[in-house]
Formats: sequence, structure tokens, C-alpha cells
Amino acid sequence: MFGKKLHVSLYRYNPEEDKFPYMKKYIIEKPEKDIMVLDLLHLLKEEDQSVSYRRSCREGVCGSDGMNINGKNGLACITPISSVIKKNSIELRPLPGLPVIRDLVVDMTEFYAQYEKIKPFLQNETTAPEQERLQSPEERDKLDGLYECILCACCSTSCPSFWWNPDKFVGPAALLQAYRFLADSRDLKTEERLEALSDPFSVYRCHGIMNCVSVCPKGLNPNKAIGEIKSMLHKNKKDIIASDRI
Amino acid sequence: MKGSLIWNLQRYSSLLILLYLLYVIGFIVNSEDQINFFTWSDFFLSFQSRIFTSLVCFLIVLHSFIGLWTVGTDYLTERTLGFLSKSLSKIAVLIQRTYLFTFIVLGIVYLIVILYIIWI
Repeated sequence: MFGKKLHVSLYRYNPEEDKFPYMKKYIIEKPEKDIMVLDLLHLLKEEDQSVSYRRSCREGVCGSDGMNINGKNGLACITPISSVIKKNSIELRPLPGLPVIRDLVVDMTEFYAQYEKIKPFLQNETTAPEQERLQSPEERDKLDGLYECILCACCSTSCPSFWWNPDKFVGPAALLQAYRFLADSRDLKTEERLEALSDPFSVYRCHGIMNCVSVCPKGLNPNKAIGEIKSMLHKNKKDIIASDRI
Repeated sequence: MKGSLIWNLQRYSSLLILLYLLYVIGFIVNSEDQINFFTWSDFFLSFQSRIFTSLVCFLIVLHSFIGLWTVGTDYLTERTLGFLSKSLSKIAVLIQRTYLFTFIVLGIVYLIVILYIIWI
């Protein structure tokens, strides 16, 4: 299905040796069958041991190998090269907007700081029942499309608002998780959570350009979750508290 | 200030500006006689037009300022100016404040001139 040679352009940067980052060209034998971008990186690493990238589960669950593949963020382990190859070449860069530690490895401190900010855990101070806090099937359905996020950062790092204000704008990944707890019938800190998001930057820097939806490797819709948060922020606080108690 | 207040101000001000546009188009379309200087002046010098025009001018300034504030706080930060040069990054706060101050002054001057034309 491919020609004989594959041109790979790889972002290289080692702060101990390089003054500036640069793109290094590799020409490798094309694999006979379709392989994933992560496998392609393994082939490159066989050729050049200094190539650095993160990987772990290699099946789209851990979210370690998020990177920019031919201009679009995605997980290398579940992206077949046949779906991204253009004119026999592939360009691999680190996730945009985050500081580069080395090659394709980025510093995700700012991303995790925003995730931490939304308090991603169930908050319910009432006495815990003997077994578990129950939900109706309808209440549980509200969490579908939210809990599946693997925090690969593909969405947040494709969002210009997050590029410009990563310290103030929470970003699509963390906002999806914020709504996951706002929508959870067992969580009782709705008002506090909304208050923490009510400033002009945390949520309202989302201008709905939907890059996050376009790149999410799990097919989730952070933009819809952000819209739901905005709707909750616009509602009367008393209504929200009342709905929490029902 | 609450993000929802800024969000609502921008959305509702744009709706009122659109309503004003329809108000003026409505006058042009519904005008029975040919529009000339006198009919046009009468329309704009009527009390309701003066009030509506003044309100809309204020909303235009407000709407524009929110938009420009958003642009300024996106692109004139230590981080984004740092992409251009480190020296610019060091004076990012000053640049952003100067930018916002300039538009505040321009907005106020614009509003004063408009109100002067409408009422005096």
C-alpha cells in the first residue's frame, strides 16, 4: 500500500546540547503493513537511540503519547500512519503550547495544575451509606461522554485560549472533568464548584472554536460540557442548590 | 467581575445594536415620502431616536471594549509577547495597560463626541 521510502520529519530538541529546536529528517524503509505512529517512532528509535517520547499502554488508554501528527494532535498509539501520511511524509511535533523537555516530551505541569484546580474528586459530606451512594440509571447516564477522558492533553493543547492563558483558562480537558462532577448527582459542592469557575477566564475564555472536539482521540465533546457549565453559571444559584438536594 | 456578566453584556449589547440597525432600516423602508435632509433630521432628532442612539453608542463602546480587552489579555501577555522577544516580555504588563488605557480614552472621547452631536 506504500512506496519504498517514508520521510519522517521529527522535532528534535535537547536543551543540554541544542540552542534551538530543529526538525530532523529521517528516511526509513516503509513498513509492508499499516502500522501506528507509535510503532513508527519505535522504528526511528532503533535507528537513533536519542529520540525521546512518552509511551506506556500502546492502546489508547494511558494518554501518554499525545503529540502533534502532521499538524493535528492525537495519540500516536492509535493513529495508523495510513490515516495521516501526506505525500509519503509524516511530521511529528510535541503537543503545542507546553514547554518542551526534550524532543516529543512536554512539561505538563500547567495542564495538571488546571486539572487540580477543578477538584476532580467527589465531594459529599453527608454520612456515607453502608454500601455505596446510589444513582438512578438516568443520573448515571449523565456521566457518559465525560468520565472517559484519559487526560492526554490533546484537546487543551490544541486550544488557542489555553496557549495564551494556560495559568488562567482551565482548558477543555479540565472543564470536561469539572462538568463530570457538576453533573454527578452524588456531588454536593455544585455551588462552590461554579463559584470557582465564575471569573472571566476559567470558563469564559472558551470561544467555541471546537478544536478540542476535532482532536479528541476518545471522541468526546468538551465544547458541549463547557456550554453546559456556562448554562449552569447563568442559572439562578438557588435553583442549582435546590436541584442538588432533590 | 463575573465572567457571566461580561458574557451577557457582550451578547445582549450586540442584540440591541442589531435592533437599532433594524430601527433605522425600518424608518427607511416605511418612509412614505422620499427621504431628504429634513425627514432624516426629523427622524434622528426625535426624542426616542436620540435616547436610542445614545444608548446604542454607549453599547458599541462597551461591546468594543470587551472585545479589545479579550484580545489584549490574550496577545499582550508576558507569555505571548515572550514568543517575539524577551525584552518585550519584560514590559508586557506596561504594554497591556497602555493598550487598555488607550482604548478606554478613545471610547470615552467617542462617546462624548457622539453625545455632543446628538444632544447639543
